[in-house]
Amino acid sequence: MKRQLIAAVGVAAMVVGVAACGSSAGTDSTAGGSGDYKGKTLTVWLMDGSAPQAWQDGIKADFESQYPGAKLDIQIQKWDGIGQKVTTALSEGSVDVLEIGNTQTAGYAATGGLADLTPFKADLGGNDWPANLNASAVQDGKQYAAPWYFANRVVIYNKALWTKAGISGTPKTLDEYYADLDKLKAAGVQDPVYLPGEEWYTYFGLVAGNGGGLAKQDGSKWVGNLESPEAKDAFATFRKLQGYSTAPKDKDEATPQQSTLFPKGTIGSMIGLGWEAPAPKDMPADQVGFFPLPGKTADKPSSVFLGGSNLAIAQASKKQALARDFLKIALSDKYEGQMAAAGDVPNKTSLDSLASTDVAKAVVQASANGATTPNIASWANVENDPNPIKGFLAAVLQGADYDSTAKKYDDEITKRLGQSQ
Amino acid sequence: MAVQSEPARVTAPGPGTGGDAPEGPAPVAGRGPLSRTAPYLLLLPAVAATLVLLVWPLTETLLLSFQNLNKRQLILHLTEWNGLDNYRAQLTSGEFWHTAGRSVAFTAVNVVLIMAGGTLVGLLLNRLGGTMRLLLSIGLILAWAMPFVASTTVYTWLFDSRYGVVDWFLDQLGWHGMATYDWYGSQLSTFFVIVLLIVWGSIPFVAFNTYAGLTTIPKELYEAARMDGAGATKVFTQVIFPSLRPFFLATTFLEVIWVFKCFTQVFAINAGGPERLTETLPVYAFVEGIGNQHYGTGAAIAVLTIVMLGGLMTYYFRIVLRQEEEL
Amino acid sequence: MRRSVLGRGWPNAVAVVLFVFFAFPVYWMVTTAFKQDRDIISRTPVFLPLHGTLEHFSRATGADRFWTMVGNSLTVTLAAVAGSLLIATLAAFAVTRMRFRGRKAFVLVIMMAQMAPWEVMTISIYMIVRDDGMLNSLVPLTAFYLMMVLPFTIWTLRGFMAAVPKELEESAMVDGCTRPQAFVRIIFPLLAPGLMSTSLFGFITAWNELPLVLVLNKATGPGTAQTLPLWLTSFQTTFGDDWGATMAAATLFAVPVLIIFLIFQRKAVGGLTDGAVKG
Repeated sequence: MKRQLIAAVGVAAMVVGVAACGSSAGTDSTAGGSGDYKGKTLTVWLMDGSAPQAWQDGIKADFESQYPGAKLDIQIQKWDGIGQKVTTALSEGSVDVLEIGNTQTAGYAATGGLADLTPFKADLGGNDWPANLNASAVQDGKQYAAPWYFANRVVIYNKALWTKAGISGTPKTLDEYYADLDKLKAAGVQDPVYLPGEEWYTYFGLVAGNGGGLAKQDGSKWVGNLESPEAKDAFATFRKLQGYSTAPKDKDEATPQQSTLFPKGTIGSMIGLGWEAPAPKDMPADQVGFFPLPGKTADKPSSVFLGGSNLAIAQASKKQALARDFLKIALSDKYEGQMAAAGDVPNKTSLDSLASTDVAKAVVQASANGATTPNIASWANVENDPNPIKGFLAAVLQGADYDSTAKKYDDEITKRLGQSQ
Repeated sequence: MAVQSEPARVTAPGPGTGGDAPEGPAPVAGRGPLSRTAPYLLLLPAVAATLVLLVWPLTETLLLSFQNLNKRQLILHLTEWNGLDNYRAQLTSGEFWHTAGRSVAFTAVNVVLIMAGGTLVGLLLNRLGGTMRLLLSIGLILAWAMPFVASTTVYTWLFDSRYGVVDWFLDQLGWHGMATYDWYGSQLSTFFVIVLLIVWGSIPFVAFNTYAGLTTIPKELYEAARMDGAGATKVFTQVIFPSLRPFFLATTFLEVIWVFKCFTQVFAINAGGPERLTETLPVYAFVEGIGNQHYGTGAAIAVLTIVMLGGLMTYYFRIVLRQEEEL
Repeated sequence: MRRSVLGRGWPNAVAVVLFVFFAFPVYWMVTTAFKQDRDIISRTPVFLPLHGTLEHFSRATGADRFWTMVGNSLTVTLAAVAGSLLIATLAAFAVTRMRFRGRKAFVLVIMMAQMAPWEVMTISIYMIVRDDGMLNSLVPLTAFYLMMVLPFTIWTLRGFMAAVPKELEESAMVDGCTRPQAFVRIIFPLLAPGLMSTSLFGFITAWNELPLVLVLNKATGPGTAQTLPLWLTSFQTTFGDDWGATMAAATLFAVPVLIIFLIFQRKAVGGLTDGAVKG
């Protein structure tokens, strides 16, 4: 809900700004005249909470006027049971274009359910996509989706509490951040940083920052890698940060929703997505600040988990050309710009400047160091409930021995990565 | 989420009740060919529905259990037979057997608590005056009518370590060690919450039925027992239990099925955690089959679950069939 | 004297404690629906929502296609319950009042049918419905919900029907009624409580069903064939759970069930007392 609110505000602000960018999608590469579109309805699945309403309305109007006779049917899908819904929909051919999470894309690419977009990459604007954002859309050298938008976590802090603790400015290194947290603690702040033990995205970023990964390739197969020194070192950082928190060690950031806790004024800082920042009615906007989670050295912030969504075309769709026409509009600067203005990281760096709010700026800055999960089909299995990474973090934070627990959960991760497709 | 795991919320005399009721041979209406086909005509809709809507998908499930059916095969409409692989993988996995054992124990604990608690509440209802009976009935009905999604959500919250009313209440009572107790931190305490939720939701069914049954026992029977100097326990074992035996049998049967198959409550409370230690067979089937989208594996686990449940139920099947013979 | 006061005192005390035990979670759900967000997650529980808000309710009812889903849920549920009652009454009559080959087998099948693992059968049902081109329709949904409650309905009605003394029916037939007439005039009225209580079970089962509708009816546009459970769970998302709206939605979701209970419960329990004497 909040996310949509922020998005709506962003869109209102950008309508003036981006309209000038115009639409580059006017050129129609599909053969045939407008008569071909009569009676064709393109079904597009978007996830609940991703595209602002203005984006949907605008693209529907643009699409239907550019391809007279064609109809655009945007269906907003809820998250509950999404794996089953996408799989079954791909088997039916009832959906033409769909949004797929970046960590899930490889899994679906490997099923043969997504259309190969390689020949059309340049036409869709693919030459401008940064490699790290495009990585998840590519499988075995083929382009199975187009990067749409991204989001990553930043530190959201309560300026009043920081001032009260005598802190000025924002930390540039982890050590400075620890020092600030100590000051907050000394000033009696209940949670200098609110960090639930199962918030694995932050841990993932820390591991990536050490040059490691939660899984690694071992010969031809992938195995869990929690036992690696990089993961262990990252865990020490994670544990230290978590130690500044009264948040439960065996819950994630959504139970309870950390965004509802922050406005209570007992939390000095938390690591969250842009939409998790308090709405103005809960806390004055000038009291909320943002900065990327600092790295070990001041030259670059910590690595972060890069979440996001790709747009793909169903292989079973009978309207491939029309679906690509839609993608072209959706990925055009006009509509990508709207996503950027709404606080998301757009799919090309030239649009980064549209990030005008404090939070968007921090997000874009951190995204330069964004890392994604291994780009393999079976990775999605790892994230399925009960997510072993979460279980691992909770167990070790609650006192289990690191090495033996890591071994146990590595086995589980390895098992999931090796499950037949 | 899980339909059949629903502790049914119905006041009924219980299926077994009627089993031994009719005495003597059933009346035979007519002697023409029509009356000979009449019972089959009457059963036709039920049989047809069962064949099309239950037997067909069940057979399909059985077939799927011999297939390698994942996302890819489902999307591309592929059929890849893999023989007994799915079964072999399960039967040789420690995980499966641990979960199966846990499921049986879990079912036993729940059913005992539900039957004992439900009977006691039913006896209490019978003993209360009008006003108090109405009050308690309202409480029971509220618990009974509560949608699953809501009750599990509320329970997760009541037992939250930081914002939960239960910890707050225990703290107020003076048990300060419980002020921020983490109920989901250990297997036992997580099970405590799950069992409480299930028992809470299932007792009304048993209690109302017991109460309804009690009101049908002729007063003279009690009086006769009292005259013989029987205490409360004796009245129960000698008068109440024998009268309601068919009902207890039927209800226990239903509760075993419902609890054994119960999914929503077990999964929603802590997703089978900590460390997958509170997974029961349906949760395991869901995680392996639906969650991971290994539908063939899921089908195999489902088939094994039915076989196991059928095994647990043979005793009961035999009893009911014996009653049928007496009919 | 003292003994009897005590004797009457403790059941009442226990009843009050039990009432709180059973009703409190429901109370918590309803009050939470009215609380402001900051009161929902609070270290000191807020027991009375003095600063109440209707915001959660308007968010819950303002969801896309809410009223279409209400209509779908009512249609599917009522149709499934009515259908299963009809089919079950016929079958129960045959089983309790007639002797024929295969009766025992039928009873056994009905018993075993209650063990059907519907959640895991979702994918085979989906494949059947998909290959028959019946997705995004209320018809297969109604049919399968009917089947989900049918075995229990037959089994329970059979109990009720067996409890109606045969003599009543026979004497009606002696008085010149045909068998169907005897059924309609004599058995059916006595069966009313049984029909009501089984329809309660059917109503709740069909009303709550989620896994099947989730994969069968995915289209969300106008004329969607989705039902209310999908709406109810939609407030719990990957972006986090909207507790206030979930509780408001759950409260609204429970209302029809409560109404049905209030209408049926008294009669069902009361009827049992008269009807099931022979149990």
